Amino acid sequence: MKTETKWLGMILICTLILLFGGIFLLTRGNPLEVVDGATVFQIDYSRGQKIGSDSAKVRIVEFSDFECLACAAVESYVARLRAADPNKIQFIYRHFPLSQHVHSSQAAALAEAAGEQGKFWEMHDKLLETQARWSSMNDATSFFMDLVKELGLDEDKIKQAMAGNVIKAKIDSDAAEGNSLGISQTPTFFVNGRKLDLQKFEDLDTLVEQELKK
Amino acid sequence: MISSNLSNRFIFVLSLLGLFVSSFLFYEYNLQGSVICPIGTGCNVVRTSSYSSFIGISIPFLGMLFYFAMAILSVAHAQKTFNNLLFRLKLLISLSGVGFGIYLTFLEIFVIKAICFWCVLSFIISLAILLSVILDENRN
Repeated sequence: MKTETKWLGMILICTLILLFGGIFLLTRGNPLEVVDGATVFQIDYSRGQKIGSDSAKVRIVEFSDFECLACAAVESYVARLRAADPNKIQFIYRHFPLSQHVHSSQAAALAEAAGEQGKFWEMHDKLLETQARWSSMNDATSFFMDLVKELGLDEDKIKQAMAGNVIKAKIDSDAAEGNSLGISQTPTFFVNGRKLDLQKFEDLDTLVEQELKK
Repeated sequence: MISSNLSNRFIFVLSLLGLFVSSFLFYEYNLQGSVICPIGTGCNVVRTSSYSSFIGISIPFLGMLFYFAMAILSVAHAQKTFNNLLFRLKLLISLSGVGFGIYLTFLEIFVIKAICFWCVLSFIISLAILLSVILDENRN
């Protein structure tokens, strides 16, 4: 065997040992840790779209973006939490439109405008259900207006609200709070003020159950 | 054109680098929570998309297999036997790697609409590997 073959072979074996050893060491004795540290973040619970009582034992805040794929993917888990006992679980939706998503802010404004007519959650669900259709459009306005009609909302009022400053300020303040909480991605969940570091979406259920048992 | 020895060493070093990147991603995808993204915020979006696995196999694992195969081939090629066969295998595997990388990059830009730093880095490494294979002056 040539010297070079021996050297390269040895380096490769050492690299493999280093990599697999590293992965093994990093995972050993490191059980499921869904809470990102023990820090309890001070969140402004007066803001956002809420379901459930303010005195609920578990308060979940989701910072989300209607155009983000993961936010649509997590929806089935979130929907279960929203449908849970409102005296035990409060769910709060906050906007965090990411700059790389062109329709995010418009979608957030649409949901808020629908909220002014009492249909935030209906629009929220519609937007996430149809995300794949409108996210690829250059201009999603007419598609959004179809959703408005579908939900039986007043189109003129929606347009007015979306063009106004109130909703824009609301979304901007959500995003600003998200930034101050150190959020860099969506969806980001806080359960009783503790930021979750989800490995998989099922962990959301697990942690909420743990909190309920406390 | 570069000497066969140099080309082979380049491929070896790049494969090790690729192994580190794909192992890190494998760890982050399967064992950790959110992916650390040094540039941009797309890593998690890509990870949680339905394209993070291919026929049920996680993409970073496929990356690990690719770089491991390239590293093994360059170790074998250093022996200077079966040169022709090893060169063809290196070309075939690196072409497949780059082809798959093009497909994944296309998905990131046009379908997922989020760019993952580590995926781009891995794609660049696979391109550099292919380039090193092509530039080998002793192609047979």
